[in-house]
Amino acid sequence: MEKLLARFRSAHTQVLGVSVDSVYSHANWAQSMGGVSFPLLSDFHPKGAMATAYGTYLADKGITDRATVIIDAGGIVRHASSVTPSGQRNIEELAALCESVDKQHGGGLKGFSIPPGIAAGATLYVKSHCGASRAAMLARHNLHLDTRLTVRNVTEDVAARGELQKIAGKDQAPCLVIDGNPIHESKVIIQHLVSAATDIPG
Amino acid sequence: MSEVIATGKEAPRFSLPDHLGRTITLEQFSGKRNVMLLFYPLDFTPT
Repeated sequence: MEKLLARFRSAHTQVLGVSVDSVYSHANWAQSMGGVSFPLLSDFHPKGAMATAYGTYLADKGITDRATVIIDAGGIVRHASSVTPSGQRNIEELAALCESVDKQHGGGLKGFSIPPGIAAGATLYVKSHCGASRAAMLARHNLHLDTRLTVRNVTEDVAARGELQKIAGKDQAPCLVIDGNPIHESKVIIQHLVSAATDIPG
Repeated sequence: MSEVIATGKEAPRFSLPDHLGRTITLEQFSGKRNVMLLFYPLDFTPT
């Protein structure tokens, strides 16, 4: 799916995954798939509320059907189908459907903008056995920033710890350093990475 | 198999958290992008 995103982008289509799993489960699973940058929505609380509204919640099983819904930019449902939970989606076919919806109902939508990217030399300082550090690392991977963003572990690497202390005045990690400026708190760090690497309209 | 929503109707609004700490709503794509929703049973199964 991630490989075909360019095709959906050129059809002015935002891809969103939806299941009843938590955001933590999503982040870990996304990483195990090689990184997922499009949003995976957590329809977790109240469980299945969005899926119920779209008629895709299988209440007896407590899971969501494997279903696809295409909505045009005017908010009208243009395609809805299910391949059953055990079935397999035909992504090529769905891409063609999105192209046809875009042609018929898109009416000159603006193209996706290119995200600014992360500054060269940016470094993410992390700690071992730290949930917040792990969250920042998962985001780095899901946003495909592994090669652009250097990681240094201040628990294992004394030199890295000294370096972070010098820059930030303390060895609190995770810490994202961009152009010599430290950014603390995993939530803020992840927000920064997201805005550097993606272009979801606000 | 579920009774998936009918075409030609207005899509139900939603506002949910995603795996990268964002809050995603249908409104934020209004007039800007088409949206494809991939519902799937559980994480660690294919999308």
